[in-house]
Amino acid sequence: MARQLTPLGRILIVLSGLALIGYGLYHWGVLNRIGSVVAPDKRAEGTISKDDFGPPTTGESTSAPPPTSKGAPSGGTRLNRPIKVAIVTWGGYAGGIVANGGFPPNRDCLFSKDFGIQVELLVIDDFAKSRDAFRAGGDKGGVDIMWSTVDAYALEYGGLLRLNPKAVLQYDWSRGGDAIAVDASIKSVADLKGKKVACAKATPSHYFALYVLTQGGLTSHDVTFVFTDSAVEAANVFKAGKVDAAVSWSPDVYVAARERSGGHILTSTREATNLIADIFVARGDFLEQHPEDVRRFVAGWLKGVEQAGANPEKTAVLLSKSFSGVSLDDAKGMLNDVKLPNYAENRAFFNPQGSLVNYHGIFKTAQGIWRRIGEIKDVYEPYQTVDTRFLEGAGEFFPEAAAAPAKPEFEFKTPPQKGASILTKTVSIYFPTGSATLDENAKAVLDTQVVDLAATFGSAYLRIAGNTDNVGNRDGNMKLSRARADAVAHYLTGKGFERNKFDVVGNGPDKPVASNDTEESRAKNRRTDFEIIPR
Amino acid sequence: MEVREPVTNARARSLALGGVATFFAAWCLLTYTGMVPAVILPSPTEVLRAFPVLHFEEALVRSAGWSLYRVTMGFLLAAAVAIPLGLFMGTFPPLKHFFSPILEPLRFLPISALVPLTIVWFGIEETQKITFLFMGTVVYLLPLVVEAVEKVDDVYLQTATTLGASRWQIVRLVLIPASLPSIGEALRVMNGIGWTYVILAEVINAPYGLGALITVAGKRSHVDQIFALVLVILVIGVLSDQILRWINHRLFSGRA
Repeated sequence: MARQLTPLGRILIVLSGLALIGYGLYHWGVLNRIGSVVAPDKRAEGTISKDDFGPPTTGESTSAPPPTSKGAPSGGTRLNRPIKVAIVTWGGYAGGIVANGGFPPNRDCLFSKDFGIQVELLVIDDFAKSRDAFRAGGDKGGVDIMWSTVDAYALEYGGLLRLNPKAVLQYDWSRGGDAIAVDASIKSVADLKGKKVACAKATPSHYFALYVLTQGGLTSHDVTFVFTDSAVEAANVFKAGKVDAAVSWSPDVYVAARERSGGHILTSTREATNLIADIFVARGDFLEQHPEDVRRFVAGWLKGVEQAGANPEKTAVLLSKSFSGVSLDDAKGMLNDVKLPNYAENRAFFNPQGSLVNYHGIFKTAQGIWRRIGEIKDVYEPYQTVDTRFLEGAGEFFPEAAAAPAKPEFEFKTPPQKGASILTKTVSIYFPTGSATLDENAKAVLDTQVVDLAATFGSAYLRIAGNTDNVGNRDGNMKLSRARADAVAHYLTGKGFERNKFDVVGNGPDKPVASNDTEESRAKNRRTDFEIIPR
Repeated sequence: MEVREPVTNARARSLALGGVATFFAAWCLLTYTGMVPAVILPSPTEVLRAFPVLHFEEALVRSAGWSLYRVTMGFLLAAAVAIPLGLFMGTFPPLKHFFSPILEPLRFLPISALVPLTIVWFGIEETQKITFLFMGTVVYLLPLVVEAVEKVDDVYLQTATTLGASRWQIVRLVLIPASLPSIGEALRVMNGIGWTYVILAEVINAPYGLGALITVAGKRSHVDQIFALVLVILVIGVLSDQILRWINHRLFSGRA
């Protein structure tokens, strides 16, 4: 006697039948083929290697300055409300906080008394919300100017294009504010190979990770990235022991490194001093309508930077009073994590031929990287994204800036002899047999592969180690490798670095990276290692 | 309009259609006339144009599949825990009073606080995401199951007792069958809860997922993509709701 199936039984039978068919299709690869049409995968993600950083090697020219200088800003009307500026809890805003005497607009401050403008600083720690405020605009309850970093701006520029945004000011370099926390087993960048690295995707942390990895001889595919929504979560995932390394911000990254047993900081922007630049970006309509207010804002902010530098104690007190949940000690730490560039340094930064590491170089490099890993499609010329008229127009308030020669920012004594390197970049520089003279090719290699590295790791010593293969007499090879390393150091000094930044070593044939059995592996041994030694 | 005025099916349908059409017309009016700038509210055309980009470059379908998988697994897990536990609590009041002080307050829990905890407990893979969605769903589902059991009319229990049913027979033959339609209804309503948490569930280590895509679109100022993704979630929500309605109808129609 056949029993009637209940509806539930029928549903179960249909479901298991579907599952069986689905598995069969999957097993024979049919699903994959259908999948590529019905459910295509994400844009293919290219590999990032050391060649993606630094100036482009051939072909492409580095970014040209805008066709003609637009001159000082003119026209427009004066603003009859405060300029609204989105910031985050971060020490880099010290200049503006000093100039404004706090966050709210007021009459008793530098901005108002010396520059006749009202400024309101608004702390919006959530990245996406600060962008919402920027889209709304200062007239409609949002902000006129927002914070960004050059690398992040290169990523988001396309999305903001309709607002015609322009970078107008660099307010800080991260100097310790971003760091890489690692577990006990990792002593140098090379040890990161095959490890899990947590960071927030497509953020300054991600950019920092890619830079350090590639300069240390790895590619973006040599590690497994674990992407989180925010930098704070990346630090938490590391603290919980779920990943081997995390790139995050101060103070979270330092807390995480301390609280995980064996955890420590591999490197931070205290060594990679010229990598993460914080900038202000203003809405195009705002710049057009109120250029004079923006010029005064830029000038007042940079005056504030001078005052903050002159009174670090008072600045720390003001910071701790202004930011909620920031003690005086926290405020001092926050100031210690940044470098506030002054007027002259700002001018050099926004000049394509200015400082060795400048806005145009970082923007272009970062844009290329985001494009290669599939985060963006369209590219823009750096000069389209910046408007230096306000900075130039602020020059009348800084007459001494043009006269004073730029002081070197870091002082180098003798390099630490036993100092362990955090990363080693290996470069092949061709020398004629028996010679220690750099030809034009060798110089071009140094320009593209080493100058940017040395400038980016501004505070660190650079050990230049010459190596040879085992062909010929050992003593002669030792002397030659040393002489070649010396020639490299000499060349780099001519680029504007201090000679004491470089430690020169000739290893001869003693430190091979491959056997000397074949010509191919001997070529690998003929190399120059550039080792970053933190001070 | 009269209070509790009866509405025919056909009229209900045309009213629903009218509601959607009015909403859509307002959207068109605000955007195409330029009353609201596109950076704040994208027009229907722009939202439509976001779909090919999402499909061919951001793996929209795979992401929808992964999110559907996570939400469904969290939902099934919640059902697997809440139905038996709720049946027990609804049947035996002492058990209810024992568990209530722990389970009741959980409904007030800000679920986002659980994200770091679930990472520490369950890691950063799928387990963490599914457990998170399970936690978010089960705290709402359980009280509804308990209520469904308690709602079963005493008349049935008294009749069963009079007929000489044992304790387990009452549970098995009266309470469970009589409360199942309400439980099915509770499951249908609670199926949506997981989708409201999908962004939080996918904040960590989610290469694919609609929530993760929304987060990224927000960071890049792609408002059009956010609207498109929200539309996808709404469509999935309405479809799964219809499916659950149909299942409930097939299983329980004409009962209770």
